[in-house]
Amino acid sequence: MAGNKKFGKRIRELREAKKTVDPTFSLRQFALKVGISATFLSKVENGEFDPPKAEHIIKMAELLEVDTDELLALANRTDPELEEIIKSEPRAMADLLRTARDRGLTAEDLERITRNMKRKS
Amino acid sequence: MARIHNFVPRKSIEADTLALIADYERKYGRTVTPPVPVEEILEAHLGLAYDFDDLPKLVNDPEALGGLWFRSREVKFDQSLDPTVFPSKLGRYRFTVAHETGHWELHRDMFLSSEGQVAMFEGEESPVICRSNDKSQLEWQADCFAGNLLMPKGMVYAQWEAMRGSREPYIAIGEIADLKARWGLGEDERPTVDVARQMAPVFQVSAQAMQIRLIELRLIRTRVPEPGLFP
Repeated sequence: MAGNKKFGKRIRELREAKKTVDPTFSLRQFALKVGISATFLSKVENGEFDPPKAEHIIKMAELLEVDTDELLALANRTDPELEEIIKSEPRAMADLLRTARDRGLTAEDLERITRNMKRKS
Repeated sequence: MARIHNFVPRKSIEADTLALIADYERKYGRTVTPPVPVEEILEAHLGLAYDFDDLPKLVNDPEALGGLWFRSREVKFDQSLDPTVFPSKLGRYRFTVAHETGHWELHRDMFLSSEGQVAMFEGEESPVICRSNDKSQLEWQADCFAGNLLMPKGMVYAQWEAMRGSREPYIAIGEIADLKARWGLGEDERPTVDVARQMAPVFQVSAQAMQIRLIELRLIRTRVPEPGLFP
């Protein structure tokens, strides 16, 4: 239970912002919607406990209307969907990822390739 | 903690709770119906930093259930009250939330001015710690505030009428005597009667808190009324 202060602080900030217009973003109501206990959420937000499982972080992102990948990255968690994608084509997907790494592709390179692929589909 | 004595009449406490609910309704454009959203009022409307923690350990007091830090606008509840873990504690938890709201609303200014003088010498803020059986004057006021906030008179009357068809009080003397005999209770013990147990879930309070409020509002009578006092 080492905690992750950055993740906790970000969740509290986002929840506080929502709470100004919607009071049901209170600690306990939000915890109930996410499916975790209020005590656990309290300690995650204060950076005492590690972030919850990826499924709960995805639910948090959905409720707080922010990018799922941003929260997962802050929490050092991987979207379980990615695991499924790799499992669906284990050799080809692993080869693609290793090649990208070995060629030293930057985030910008990867984003450009993604945009091109989306345009062609 | 500095010792503070003040007198706040019951009527004034009731007016404060109704004003607080009205402010909340105006701010968020919502109509409050039972159960009164006490967490939302304290956390969102009044804007206190709100947490669950191992409070007895934190404040070195084995009986601590709620703690309020006025200067830093923080409120903490003991994790043993967390209803997402212990659903049976919901009523007790909500009463503690409403009780801390009472301290915030009734005692904040007085405490901060007194605390400010203490802080000049000590630097560190001492929280107000609330225990289950602390019955000082300030605690009585916060309890009174909690009862009125969780169970506003108008809402209780409306619910009573919806459940019983009229505002006629219930004379509970027979039922209380039966319950005492069945459970072998002492003279000074007061078991909760059926109507209080039925109404408590509507307000998400304990049956005991509901009964105290119904007796206060004279909807439950525990003594034989004088003839002609009500039709």
